[in-house]
Amino acid sequence: MKIDFKVNGRDYSLEVREDMRLLDFLREELKLTGTKEGCGEGECGACTVIIDGKAVNSCLVLVPEIDGREVITVEGLERDGRLHPLQESFIEKGAVQCGFCTPGMLMSAKALLDGNADPSDEEIMEAIEGNLCRCTGYYKIVQAIRDAAGKLRNGKA
Amino acid sequence: MPVDERELKSMLGGEDCKIMAGGTDLLVRIRSGRLSPSRIVSLARMKGMDGILDLGEEVSIGSRVTMSELLKCELIAASCPILPMVVREIGSPQIRNRATLAGNLVNASPAGDSIMALYLSNATVVISGVNGERREKVSSFIKGPGRTTLSRDEYVGAILLEKTPGYFPQFYKVGQRSAMAIAVASVGSLISGQEIRMAFGSVAPTVAVPEKACEYFEKAGEKFDDGEFARLAMLAISPIDDVRASAWYRSTVVKNLVQRTLNVWRKKG
Repeated sequence: MKIDFKVNGRDYSLEVREDMRLLDFLREELKLTGTKEGCGEGECGACTVIIDGKAVNSCLVLVPEIDGREVITVEGLERDGRLHPLQESFIEKGAVQCGFCTPGMLMSAKALLDGNADPSDEEIMEAIEGNLCRCTGYYKIVQAIRDAAGKLRNGKA
Repeated sequence: MPVDERELKSMLGGEDCKIMAGGTDLLVRIRSGRLSPSRIVSLARMKGMDGILDLGEEVSIGSRVTMSELLKCELIAASCPILPMVVREIGSPQIRNRATLAGNLVNASPAGDSIMALYLSNATVVISGVNGERREKVSSFIKGPGRTTLSRDEYVGAILLEKTPGYFPQFYKVGQRSAMAIAVASVGSLISGQEIRMAFGSVAPTVAVPEKACEYFEKAGEKFDDGEFARLAMLAISPIDDVRASAWYRSTVVKNLVQRTLNVWRKKG
């Protein structure tokens, strides 16, 4: 079937397979391989993307469902070759170890900060409770998100 | 992807098709091979079925309303406070942004915590089909684990919850991880002066209601004894050993949570 949608600010009008997951569509058709597959059943959050402002697991969305909607993936975070403050803070604070969970973490964090400019640590932890990280112990990730929130509030973005 | 209820009705029945609301459960089951419907009817493009309506004594929740939307709703917070208490514990933000109350209901999991809130709110399921509309109490709608009275050519349009602002709500869940955990056991309750409503999750084939204990609470008066209440409450459960916990552990957890429910209620009163 043919659907119209937006990914990272770009308009698409494409014929898609009805039984394809959004995750596979992004990786295999649009070649946006930043979005990772972890568990494939909504437990780990590695495949998190933002649809119309809300963080969702792209492994649990079928492509036809994005008809008329806007998707943002980790590739949509940078602007003109400059990293997003969240990405900068993740690097500066050492919140990235193996990096596999990072794209999903960033998208959950972005969905949070887009709606809440000054989240408490508790709110940050709730926002990433659906994202598993087996390396960092989460502490540095929470720090990085708090740090990025500060940068965004001070207009250093 | 039907756009209205008329089109939806025309697509149901006949071949083996499954209705998908948020897909957070259905897509997992299909991928694991436990389910292989020949067709999926997605509600993503439907008009309607996405409202939360004030009906006076009841609140109507459309089948496309997501768990996140329920958590943000002031009407629900004020009139059915038990529901957000339970929904907050479900899944993760990503799951709650997609999952629906109606989807959780038709899956009829014994561990479906939102179903517990429906039992406590004396909820009515509004079922539509080719032959018109029928209504059924949630307790009779659910037949067993994964089984409901919904037939192939029917769908759940909305769920009606009784408003319970005068009750003191409590919900306790014991799981293995704070997010995404399926409960080992859970206990929910609504208490007003003389009445108690209580329900248990994950300790019987469906959500269990300890009716004998609730009756005792209402009739015992001055002779009320916590131990006797707990003993009667335990008659309602039939926990099993599984990958998440042993039956013995589940029973102990329920007993302790029942006692905690009484303690917290007294302290608050």
